[in-house]
Amino acid sequence: MSQEAVGKERWVTGAELPSLAKTLSQEKIDRYARASGDFNPIHVDPAFAAQTPFGGTIAHGMLLLAYLSEMLTVAFGRAWLTGGRLKIRFKGAARSHETVTIGGHVQRVQEGHEGRRLWCDVECLNQRSEVLVAGQVEVKL
Amino acid sequence: MNKAIEALEKGHQFSATSFVLDGVTVARYVEAVEDEALPRLAQAEGKAWVPPMAVAALALRSLMEEMTLPAGSIHVSQELEFVRAVETGEQIACRAWLSHRSQRGGYWVLAVEMEGADESGRSVLAGRLTVMVPR
Repeated sequence: MSQEAVGKERWVTGAELPSLAKTLSQEKIDRYARASGDFNPIHVDPAFAAQTPFGGTIAHGMLLLAYLSEMLTVAFGRAWLTGGRLKIRFKGAARSHETVTIGGHVQRVQEGHEGRRLWCDVECLNQRSEVLVAGQVEVKL
Repeated sequence: MNKAIEALEKGHQFSATSFVLDGVTVARYVEAVEDEALPRLAQAEGKAWVPPMAVAALALRSLMEEMTLPAGSIHVSQELEFVRAVETGEQIACRAWLSHRSQRGGYWVLAVEMEGADESGRSVLAGRLTVMVPR
């Protein structure tokens, strides 16, 4: 059996996706703002953000999704880049000093003529185990 | 001209935009998100793959040239489909439209659908962004 085939076989219902942890900082958020062009003051202006219900700056939602995408690249390689789908909701904000952990598990597997299709539940938690992002990802292997 | 998104009517078509995923832009993005997996995959396959979320983020940035999200806006949900892997140097054309507009409490709930295509017109990405904008 090829290495690729072995890789595919590991993805059965209930299998855990590799988790990924990232520690945020204002510097990282500012760097993402420059890379993405999103300079919303809630992300990059501490004085403005202090007056909001968050009480300080928060990370871009798309930065958390970038971390999620990295985890899915580790798990599924090119299959994530070609044909990957995601549907998520932002449930909480990641503060600028928090450590977030991305993870998930295979929720359903379907074998078909075109290969194996996986549906995975994914989430992003902060260090207090509060859910910041939750949703589902679909990948065709 | 930059318009407040909440002032747009449902069905509004945003101006078509395009951008090039040049090496500097992609490298800046990869550094910002500290993506270690994508460069490894690209090196293993001998391809200059672009992180799929970079394509999505830069597509959103191109749309933001026409619309403004006021302070206090909340990114509620995101749907994305990556139709095919994209390489550094490719040009992506985007089109988008306002697919939903409603009121909930003190917010407008707005959804923007977008599609990205390569130079030959083949789809590379599709997505739906939902935001809540203070009224």
